Amino acid sequence: MPNSNIDIVKILESKLSGKSVQILPGQLGTATIKVAPGDHRDVFRALVEADEYTAISAISGLDLGANLGVYYHVRTSNAFLTIEVEVPKNNPKIQTVNDIAPSAAFHELEVSDLFGLIVEGNPRSGHFVLPETWPEGIFPLRKDVNASEVKQNPPLPEEKSDEGKLVKIIIGPQHPALLEPEKFAVLVEGEIVKAVQPRIGYVHRGVEKASESRTYIQDVYLVERICGICNSCHATGFVEAVERILKTEVPPRGKYLRTIILEVNRIHSHLLTLGHAGLEIGYETLFQYFWRDREPIMDLQEMLTGNRVISSSLTVGGVRRDLKETDVPKIRSVLADLRKRLPFYTEIYQNEPSIRARMQNVGTLKREDALKLGVVGPVARASGVDIDIRKDDPYEAYAEIPFNEITKTAGDTWARMNVRMDEVEESIKIIEYALDHMPTGAYRIKVPRVVPAGEAISRVEAPRGELFYYVKSNGTTMPERVKVRTPTFANIPAFLTTAIGETIADIPPNFVSLDPCFSCTDR
Amino acid sequence: MIDYLLLLFRVLVFPGFTFIVLFTMFCDWVERKFEARMQNRMGPSFTGPSGILQPIADFIKLLTKEEITPCESKRNVYRFAPILAFSVLVFALCFLPVDGNSIIPGVSFAGDLIFVMALVSVANFLLFLAGWSSSNPYSAVGAARVLTQFLGYDIPLVLLALAPAFLAKSLTIATIVSSQWLPFAILAPWAFVLFIITMQAELEKDPFDVPHAESEVVGGHETEYSGGKLAFLKLARDVQIVFGAALITVLFLGGANGPVPFGFLPQFWGTLWFVLKVLGMVIVSEYITVLFARLRIDQVVRANWRIILPLSVLSLILTISLAYWVFPLV
Repeated sequence: MPNSNIDIVKILESKLSGKSVQILPGQLGTATIKVAPGDHRDVFRALVEADEYTAISAISGLDLGANLGVYYHVRTSNAFLTIEVEVPKNNPKIQTVNDIAPSAAFHELEVSDLFGLIVEGNPRSGHFVLPETWPEGIFPLRKDVNASEVKQNPPLPEEKSDEGKLVKIIIGPQHPALLEPEKFAVLVEGEIVKAVQPRIGYVHRGVEKASESRTYIQDVYLVERICGICNSCHATGFVEAVERILKTEVPPRGKYLRTIILEVNRIHSHLLTLGHAGLEIGYETLFQYFWRDREPIMDLQEMLTGNRVISSSLTVGGVRRDLKETDVPKIRSVLADLRKRLPFYTEIYQNEPSIRARMQNVGTLKREDALKLGVVGPVARASGVDIDIRKDDPYEAYAEIPFNEITKTAGDTWARMNVRMDEVEESIKIIEYALDHMPTGAYRIKVPRVVPAGEAISRVEAPRGELFYYVKSNGTTMPERVKVRTPTFANIPAFLTTAIGETIADIPPNFVSLDPCFSCTDR
Repeated sequence: MIDYLLLLFRVLVFPGFTFIVLFTMFCDWVERKFEARMQNRMGPSFTGPSGILQPIADFIKLLTKEEITPCESKRNVYRFAPILAFSVLVFALCFLPVDGNSIIPGVSFAGDLIFVMALVSVANFLLFLAGWSSSNPYSAVGAARVLTQFLGYDIPLVLLALAPAFLAKSLTIATIVSSQWLPFAILAPWAFVLFIITMQAELEKDPFDVPHAESEVVGGHETEYSGGKLAFLKLARDVQIVFGAALITVLFLGGANGPVPFGFLPQFWGTLWFVLKVLGMVIVSEYITVLFARLRIDQVVRANWRIILPLSVLSLILTISLAYWVFPLV
């Protein structure tokens, strides 16, 4: 954990004395800070000055009746803060914090798109998640929205072409380099990229809204479907938050089983990306090799959870299926086989000349930029930013399991792929440790269907980085609000920064090194 | 009369058109099967024994598909470039002595090596035109890459092809083949290795398959093509690969000359040796393909001007000095 001896709450108390700031320790992370609109900029200024690791994890919008709640979820080196601001619904204006914390830009856009918050001073404008044909003045995540209004679609506006001598190459929504639909308009001069304009939302399914009209148990399976690859991480994020509202403690065996499922998830996700990177740079053999060795891991997931892809094995209060003692040797032998193959792949990624030619010094993200943009997961760790939720804010059984946090300093595409390569080995170690120290006893407990009123956050280290969940309950069987911030959403700014000044041919390897998952991003 | 029928048979059936097309498809199958086995896959398996008929099935399937011509395209160029590229490559193959003689007897003339090399450039240029005429940004980028690559790599290719010519002291393909009692690959291995690498770039195969980089330029110059035109574009590419392997065979591996001369059925044995050598070269080329990732266009161009071209000049100098001052002494 970086700089563990900064006491951020004390610093804030001393810096913000004299302002109408209410600090409530222990709520929604380390502390919740309630401020009036306008003063939240001072809080951010104080945070950024005190700690270079300050980054916005997410901004949740909330419909509080007469007011709109804007919750800034901020991570610092050793704390997680929620800064609550309320603005009146009839005049929902708030000043941007983008100039103080540049990681805010996309989050602010999303809240303004979905809640109608007017962010003053954000350089970007227009729809970011919603389609261009979305009717004016309707904000889908507000409680008073009427489905019939949404159906009146205005016509699609004409696309403007005013780039002058720059050529616009559009990557997406359908393009061989992208597995999922998202659009990046790349302005190029010759082969050199001058600007990238992102447009997300092509697979926006409104999961956050849909979860408000489903029970908590149904929601577990709904949020799993946000992302097929890291489905267990989404389920973990949701059930952890609900368990925190319920104040239930999962039995130790349940925690260990969850940890094993999460690490199996990470292994197959990393192997997928490491192979896919080969495809993007025209190295089909590497792709086929990695995906061949990924198959036993998928079978392992099926053996553990009963399902190959969407595991559906987590539930509020534990896991739904116990580990059979007879399966343990099989799991060990699959992991041993994979471990035997790993040195060969590490050698390929470290030393193969054509991989180095295509990946080294491509998409270099400097440490300062990585901190400033608030990137997460392997992307941050490859730039020398040592953040890993499993270490920084342990959940499930991670506090008890020893493992190494992999960091590299180069910050280029090559370093990002090598971070993933080394993490596979660590994941195998974690699973083996969990199997060795598996507690006995119950693997789940019964929990009430009705969740008492309250709110909670949870953070999970998904294969792509920090996955954030905020759940608010209103005392019924259905949640009042579920906010999901997926890792790719936080990592896209890194691509927008690093792609500029490089060639078109560098886009695919640079892009795939973020391990982008657009279903996640869009939700 | 019988002479004419024989000539017609030679040109149309064996070792002419039909043989070339079928052999090309067989090579395509070998390539796909080999690549698949290298990558732990099955490869074509269902059409015919071990999927050997798959390339033919693919070709027929493409012929039955709807053809779309973009309205912005330069229609005539767009329409004729694929079939012309295919024809030019088949024509170039006619100069190579497949069964000991060139396919059209008596067509060989002094300097036909230069003529054949020129035909390859024409075929490449036609592929460029195919992309350029489709008025699609991806095709345009792909076409520009075809042009960049073949303009660069044609120079070392010709320089390296001159090495066997100097060793045989002739620019006639037939003479070059007949003077290889010992394959030139053994006499001048440096030129042989360089020629294989340059050929890899000329055929746009990994690590030089920049014009086809699907993650960057979708289908390259083929992006807009469909149906029969795409079928011929793909066939032209396969013929190009066979032609490349055949050229290496002719220039460096002694063509149809076997290691042991057989008195009976010389044409049968000649064809067998030729086919085996070509297959060997196809497999070598595919082996290089599966081993490497694709380079970037600037890396490909830099590799040519900084490494391949100076090395080919050196190779030529070395070969000439050997051919004129060292070998006569031996």
